[in-house]
Amino acid sequence: MAKTIICRCEDVSLEDLIEGFRAGFHDLESLKRYTGFSTGFCQGKSCTAHAARFLSALRGGDDVVADPPRTRPLLHPTSAASFAGQITPGSDRKPT
Amino acid sequence: MDGFAQEPVAVALLAAGVRIFGRSLKYHRPRGAVCLDGHCSSCLLRIDGVANVRSCQTLCRAGMVVERQSGWPSPKFDVLRAVDWFAGDRLDHHSLFTTSSVVNRVATGFVRKLSGLGDPPTAEPPAIAELRNFAAEVVVIGGGTAGLAAASQLAEAGHQVILFEKSHHLGGRLLDGACRLGEPEKDQPGWEILGQWKSQWQSHAGLEIHRGTTVLAVYEGDRPQVLASNQETTYLIDAQRLIICTGAYEQLPLFINNDLPGLLSIRALDKLFYRYGVVPAEPLVLVGNSDRCLRLAYDLAKQGVKLAGLVTQTQASEGIEKLKQAGVPLFFDRRVLRARGGRWLDRLELAGPDHPEPDLVLDCQACALEGPSSPAYELAHHAGCRVSFHSHSGYVVTTNEDGRTSHGQIFAAGHCAGALSCTEARQQGEQVGRACARCLHSVSAEPGGQHG
Ligand code: FES
Repeated sequence: MAKTIICRCEDVSLEDLIEGFRAGFHDLESLKRYTGFSTGFCQGKSCTAHAARFLSALRGGDDVVADPPRTRPLLHPTSAASFAGQITPGSDRKPT
Repeated sequence: MDGFAQEPVAVALLAAGVRIFGRSLKYHRPRGAVCLDGHCSSCLLRIDGVANVRSCQTLCRAGMVVERQSGWPSPKFDVLRAVDWFAGDRLDHHSLFTTSSVVNRVATGFVRKLSGLGDPPTAEPPAIAELRNFAAEVVVIGGGTAGLAAASQLAEAGHQVILFEKSHHLGGRLLDGACRLGEPEKDQPGWEILGQWKSQWQSHAGLEIHRGTTVLAVYEGDRPQVLASNQETTYLIDAQRLIICTGAYEQLPLFINNDLPGLLSIRALDKLFYRYGVVPAEPLVLVGNSDRCLRLAYDLAKQGVKLAGLVTQTQASEGIEKLKQAGVPLFFDRRVLRARGGRWLDRLELAGPDHPEPDLVLDCQACALEGPSSPAYELAHHAGCRVSFHSHSGYVVTTNEDGRTSHGQIFAAGHCAGALSCTEARQQGEQVGRACARCLHSVSAEPGGQHG
């Protein structure tokens, strides 16, 4: 079936974003949570900018996407053996 | 199958004519390697009993067991592709099977069996990594043009610098065969500059470089804390100053079936062709406007690679003239409307700027496209640095004229901070290196010193 894929990891298409927008999710963070783009293996490296462009075009301005969706550690999928039993990185830090 | 040492598994597979690497999560659409840079995740394979390994970031080893991990009965012919056909435009998982709780429970159990990303590992669990937790004067994230330029400046000024590079090779875009740096060297290939830098480092005792080590997070605090890891070691470093040079991710433009195997980024093709001498398939189409794209097209044509065409907006330039002479078919004022092919690209449909219907079809087996390149802002965002949206690229780390971010201790340079070329990235890197050295200097000159 013909699809324009925005997010390859989670198979989110342009159609999905349009539908999400119609369903009332008009900001990047909630559109992300509704459609699931940026939540896959690559953690949004290939789709976040596409989705932001889409939303800003639809709402007629870059201001609406001024902030990216929340980014959280870890940036890449990592083996648990890198941390197991050793550290809780950032535990003494204030969460951002 | 054969592969060279120092050659990523994905490259060896492409050289051997493998096209489908796996299937997508929901619609079971075929997937092939796109970026060869470790960020698109379309090249996931099961390697030596471990699922979800990025094959473009894993080097070949004798005796390695490489398997495809998705698709039933095989990734080439996957019956679950039917989901894609039946789903029509989209599959709305919010409303699917929600008519009754019984139906829902049955469907959930069924779907859980079908979906997921790879099977649990059969390999021995890896040894627990050694943890190294210490303080450092400067940490540089990214060993590309900007990162190396900044690190060189700082090391030359006598500072202790730790640099992390995620890939096995230093240099980033400097290693691209079509990369040239402008003034003052004018048209100097990137690798030449990299060579010069490497020879200078011999004399810098303070520069410590970790390749194949990925920075996973930056935690905010008076001093930024950097978490990085490779298979053997996990680093947790309190950095007096942090320089973020994470570059940018190349993306494919949006058009129908833009996920078909055979479509890849221009940088991926550059890497395949210049570094590994591999052409994924022929005839090949290139889509892009930059000098590097034209240069790549020319070099491919010169080597006798069959090009079905170059689709570009660049009309009058030296590069275009050379391509005309080399007999490469050129298509101006057209955009890609749709890719076609069953499991692998076999046609591209092009249309004029405002035409909804295609007016030209190119037969091709592979196509490299230059899409928007979106800055890797994530690590800066972890630390609370301000970022801003630029519609032609994406989120860019905001910096002042010194390259300082909104977090006083963190600097950013290169493509992640909005540089658009290697020349610009190098300038920014050097500038940030100098600015950072200046501020370390003024800190240590203060009474009480050393504690920035
Ligand atoms: S992550 Fe390997 S090809 Fe993109």
